[in-house]
Amino acid sequence: MNTIEMKDIHFSYTEKEEILKGINITIDERSTAIIGQNGAGKTTFVKLLKGLLRPNSGKILLNGTDIADMTVAALAKDIGLIFQNPNDQIFKNTVLSEVMFGPLQMGMSKAQAEESARKALEMVGLMNMEKINPYDLGLSDRKLVSIAAIVAMDTKVIIFDEPTIAQDYMGKERIKKIMKDLRAQGKIVISILHDMDFVAETFERAIVFAKGNVLLDGDVKTVFSQKDVLEEAYLEQPSTAKLCHELGYGEIFLTPEEFIAMKQKEA
Amino acid sequence: MAEIKVENLKYRYPYTEKLALDGITCEIKQGEFIGVIGKNGSGKSTFCQALTGLVPTFYRGAYGGKVFIDEIEVKNVEVDDLCQKVGIVFQNPFNQVTGSKLTVYEEIAFGLENFGIERSQMRKRIDESLALLDIAKYKDRAPFDLSGGQMQRMAIASIIAMEPEIIILDEPTSQLDPQGSEEVFQAVQKLSQKGITVIMVEHKIEKIAAYSDRVMLLDDGKLVDFDIPQKVFSRTDLEEHGVVPPTYTRIGKALNLRVSETDTYPVTLQEAEQLLAHRQE
Amino acid sequence: MKSMSLYEEKHSFLNKLSPITKMIYVVAAILIPAFAGEKMLAVGFMIFSMLLLMHSKVIRRTFPILGVSGFVVLTVLIIQGLFRAGNETVVLDMGPVAFYKEGLLFALGIAINVFNIILCFCVLVLSTKPSDMVEELVRKGFSPRIGYVFTSLFQLIPQMTDRMSTITDAQKSRGMETEGSLMIRMKAFLPLISPVIMSSFIDTKERAIALEVRGFNAKNKKTFLNESTKIPVDNVIIIILVVGIVCSIGWRIMTWLR
Repeated sequence: MNTIEMKDIHFSYTEKEEILKGINITIDERSTAIIGQNGAGKTTFVKLLKGLLRPNSGKILLNGTDIADMTVAALAKDIGLIFQNPNDQIFKNTVLSEVMFGPLQMGMSKAQAEESARKALEMVGLMNMEKINPYDLGLSDRKLVSIAAIVAMDTKVIIFDEPTIAQDYMGKERIKKIMKDLRAQGKIVISILHDMDFVAETFERAIVFAKGNVLLDGDVKTVFSQKDVLEEAYLEQPSTAKLCHELGYGEIFLTPEEFIAMKQKEA
Repeated sequence: MAEIKVENLKYRYPYTEKLALDGITCEIKQGEFIGVIGKNGSGKSTFCQALTGLVPTFYRGAYGGKVFIDEIEVKNVEVDDLCQKVGIVFQNPFNQVTGSKLTVYEEIAFGLENFGIERSQMRKRIDESLALLDIAKYKDRAPFDLSGGQMQRMAIASIIAMEPEIIILDEPTSQLDPQGSEEVFQAVQKLSQKGITVIMVEHKIEKIAAYSDRVMLLDDGKLVDFDIPQKVFSRTDLEEHGVVPPTYTRIGKALNLRVSETDTYPVTLQEAEQLLAHRQE
Repeated sequence: MKSMSLYEEKHSFLNKLSPITKMIYVVAAILIPAFAGEKMLAVGFMIFSMLLLMHSKVIRRTFPILGVSGFVVLTVLIIQGLFRAGNETVVLDMGPVAFYKEGLLFALGIAINVFNIILCFCVLVLSTKPSDMVEELVRKGFSPRIGYVFTSLFQLIPQMTDRMSTITDAQKSRGMETEGSLMIRMKAFLPLISPVIMSSFIDTKERAIALEVRGFNAKNKKTFLNESTKIPVDNVIIIILVVGIVCSIGWRIMTWLR
């Protein structure tokens, strides 16, 4: 089983302001959503996991190995990070070669890389687009290209940074499915998200960041039950949970489907 | 009083074959809050830009039909003749910052300077829009130092300062965190209460349901429906058009809850809550 | 805030002067000694510029600039001192090589001109907000579009550098090495530069539309939020400088006629 342990992580860019103030988290096989206001330290946290930043103090262990001893390029074999804006990474003139770039950098042979890239493209639903220039695609499909580019690297851990931005309903559904498939393959899926309904429908665990600290950490149901604490972090409950709260239910439901099932059983 | 009239609007971008807008006809009255929904590529943004005249004057391409703002036909006037009447705010707040101004206050002045507004009038309008968008406390800050939500409110303020009668917002909250989007929604609601016509493209369907007077559903460049939110979201074929109804409507459909006045499913938290509480009694 | 400008607000006398006055000062400091053909005038302007910079408490910021150009001037001094054609009078004999008076004097002349120009530009640049300078020029009829390009560069270039570091992170995350031998760096060039160009292109298009709907191309006469900052002293200084320039031109014409 894959785990990432973060032990008492402190981080700051400047001396004046500490961004992360002692984070202790163990990430396990559960899919994990990182939520919180902008500036709460979510992106910094992810960059530390990826080795793009190094903590001022504390340790990050990937399956027991301290990542401080690994270079970013070496870490790339284990941890994949999908950046928010696909335009920040795409540079090849076909979808296939863009997706093959990562695997080739990792030292796969051309044939292996191509196979891996095709598999990834199939997973994200772009198998007919191999020869197209990524910049001829709409932003939501371009996002899928950037996801495939990381999936093709076949890392143990995959981190998404706000994947649902500018996605419509169908785009979100596709991303939801990709995340669930990756989870089923035994990968650690971590994502920064702003869309609480999406978190409620897709993730098992939620970690709430606020001002450089972990405010809440637990399974999604427990986290989203705590309306007052969420509001402290300027977050809302998911829509269905709000309804349960308004109706004064002791137990909350996370998705309309759960709510409907409960109601139908009642009747 | 600005009335919008769209008659059989058709439009195709240069170097493309498909119509981006395909025969849209509708009317919008002064002061309405219109939510525009549809999947990506359905023509929402193009429709917005057709109301401002950016389509066709900025983008060129093939254009048919007519768009009137009051008696002005938009394709016959320059964008800058229209933009004091119809303002538009885009998705990415960052790309709306001019980059040539050092403070929020000066940034908002940019449009007013271009239109030759006299200085005392300019200051009055800037102060009013700062207050309306609740960003007066940032007026001496550098535009790029603001958070996403603050920057987007600054973008709205810089449009509002030009005193348009209509404001169009094209997914203004999609790049923002929950608090940032809430700030923008509240600001937009305030504009609407002031009598400004609001046309807002948005994927956050629960918000559209809560704020809109009428909802416009586009698919494939065509106007599928244009009605009160309860009616549009109660359609059974919504998902075929790439839109999922609000959570509360989905629950209402499954449990057969109906709002008696409109004979539709609930669309907002309040409606659903009332119907469910009523049923429990 | 990140900005590329060297300007720093010190609430000094120079800060209060109109950008136009300081621009005319630059012109005067360069033209008057040139027309008059008198090196001592350039030395005078040099000293005066330094006094102004000291009074504005920004003299320290000139040191790095003077240091770099000082190095260049020193090499000129050595080369001219040793090898200038027409070198006759030895001032310093160092065995195999000797410095000559003619070459050194010539190089000294160059040095005075260089430092004079650098210092008078420092007076302008270190005490003036770039946006104020451009705005003042636009008021005087300079194209607002070109003016916009200048002022926006000061803020947009630092933003682009930020973008560049995000892109570097994104490509590093895909296993690309960015540090090490020249070969590695060259290989990394394309994956880094293409996204920068593409995303700047997209940003620029969006920004152009956003400017358009705020009347960037409106044909009516522009107004300005900020009043022109001229203070009475400005006019006095401008008159003195202009008279100085005119006199030096007159002087030059008279010497020609003679």
